[in-house]
Amino acid sequence: MADYSERRFARILGHYLALIALAVLALAPIWIMVATSFKNDVIVQSKEPLWFFFVPTLDNYAYIMTRGKFDTYLWNSVIVGTASTFLTLALGGFCAYALARAEFRGRRFIANSTLLIRMVPPAVLAVPAFALVVVFNIDNDLAVLIFFYTALNLPFAIWLLFGFYKQIPVELEEAAIIDGATPLQVFFRIMLPLMKSGYAVAGIFTFRIAWNEFILALLLTGRNTRTLPVGAAGFITDTGVEWGRIMAMGTLIVIPPLLFTFFAARQIIAGMVAGAVKG
Amino acid sequence: MRGVALEKVIKRFGPTVVIPEMSLSIEESEFVVIVGPSGCGKSTTLRMIAGLEDVSKGKIRIGGKDVTWLPPKQRDIAMVFQSYALYPHMDVAGNMSFALRLAGKPKAEIEERVRRAAEMLELTDYLARKPKDLSGGQRQRVAMGRSIVRDAYCFLFDEPLSNLDAKLRSSMRTELAILHKKLDRTMIYVTHDQIEAMTMADRIVIMDKGIIQQVGTPRDVYNSPRNTFVAGFIGSPSMNFLDGELRGEDAVAVKGDGFELPLAPELAKRAKKTRGKKVVAGLRPEHFAVEASRAGSSESTYAKIRLDVSVAEYIGSSQFLAAKIGDAHVTAAVEAGPASEPMSSGNYLFDTSRVYLFDRESGNAI
Repeated sequence: MADYSERRFARILGHYLALIALAVLALAPIWIMVATSFKNDVIVQSKEPLWFFFVPTLDNYAYIMTRGKFDTYLWNSVIVGTASTFLTLALGGFCAYALARAEFRGRRFIANSTLLIRMVPPAVLAVPAFALVVVFNIDNDLAVLIFFYTALNLPFAIWLLFGFYKQIPVELEEAAIIDGATPLQVFFRIMLPLMKSGYAVAGIFTFRIAWNEFILALLLTGRNTRTLPVGAAGFITDTGVEWGRIMAMGTLIVIPPLLFTFFAARQIIAGMVAGAVKG
Repeated sequence: MRGVALEKVIKRFGPTVVIPEMSLSIEESEFVVIVGPSGCGKSTTLRMIAGLEDVSKGKIRIGGKDVTWLPPKQRDIAMVFQSYALYPHMDVAGNMSFALRLAGKPKAEIEERVRRAAEMLELTDYLARKPKDLSGGQRQRVAMGRSIVRDAYCFLFDEPLSNLDAKLRSSMRTELAILHKKLDRTMIYVTHDQIEAMTMADRIVIMDKGIIQQVGTPRDVYNSPRNTFVAGFIGSPSMNFLDGELRGEDAVAVKGDGFELPLAPELAKRAKKTRGKKVVAGLRPEHFAVEASRAGSSESTYAKIRLDVSVAEYIGSSQFLAAKIGDAHVTAAVEAGPASEPMSSGNYLFDTSRVYLFDRESGNAI
């Protein structure tokens, strides 16, 4: 008996130690970022790194808010993030619905190959994308970034939403058809409300990727169309890396996706379709 | 003609023919049950009537109107699905009123119709609940309610009770029969359960392999099955089939391995015409009897038959005997005697007026 509970205790202890180790690994960089954003240059550059106890300063925040174009970058990021997320979900949703329901030649191939496209790293696309933008002379326009992010995110969104659509029983649509619904009414009044979770999940991924993307944004934006990550990189200068300011910017960059995720996650209600079919 | 009619309907899925050719006419306000084993095409038939499935050839009429190529909403039908298919994001009232809202009916009328349907189905207290907060039986009622608020010309049911437990199923059967009387609408009901078919139907349509085997009232199909499929499908436990041969010039008896039963005069007359052919004798379990209870009655049509009983299953009102006649396994249902008297092998009686004969090759009734 004692032997058993001892072993049990050891196992639980092991679990928690592993969890703590993982949590530290995940949270430490965030802490370093937040902490550094409140340090002045002297503390940042000091030989003995100060982890917890230092005199905090808001200088870095004051600097990025007042000098430079933080507000423009933020606005650009918000526009690009929301517009490309909306477009991705709208187009990807219809596409996934068709793949999940309509019968046509090559359906299975398309459904399975969407993810393959996702395997291509964005960096590979950067040069051709840049060439296209230069050829068509459309740099310095946010629409370009929205377009590329939508294209980049579509395969994954389609794949994800496809899985969600397949979980919704066909009988629900048939019942609605019998009840007299047109195809559009079936989609908007039956399918869409049931897909809230799916769209929320896809939205979180899509928005996060669009928000954080760096390489394409660096190449395809000009002075007035820079997004926040590109703006942050601007603090790497010839005269040195301004760590405090980069970290302050980084801390601010993290906030909108967090808010977005909290909002979207509230739409994810486990077992939304529960109770639709069977007894 | 009013009612529902299928005229030479053929259904193919790609190269597979599901329904070779089917004609069926259903009277107005009739309760017709289509019954058959799974994969017999009964659900496909219902879905073609509903308009969820196109016909490959032929015509479908509902209420005298050719609806073959009309979408479901123009067919004046309502349907209850096996899985209920309730809209999970709407409450009970929302589920029941969905069709009326789509049709743009005035609010007052919608409320009134939902209220009446809910009363009929005892759902009034649950109108604000979501499907996930309902029991299986309640969900079933909501599914019914959703169809009856429509006040459609024809109601279609696709195995609506198969997800309920046995007790609930039998009470819903009764309710459905009452509902049919109240609404007085054409109802087409698909099931694989012959008890549901027998208890509710005005007429039963028995299907196998996409072909209608027999159409008739429950009494018809039980008393005069047209072939061995119908005979074996209708009745519980199902009919015993024993290979046998006709005896004598006038086919006075049928004899097989371990049994010989005299034939009723009328059956003998019919059998005489097919004499020489090998037959299958059909004996329903319920037409067996324990010897003691009938002894001494000279007018009886009962004949002796030997059963080698292996197991007796006591079910209260009667008991089922798993037994052998010759080498063939049979089931007999006989009255349950006193417990002190275990059922054993020996001579039992069979009602010879209830012997069925089938052609051994075609399976058709003689």
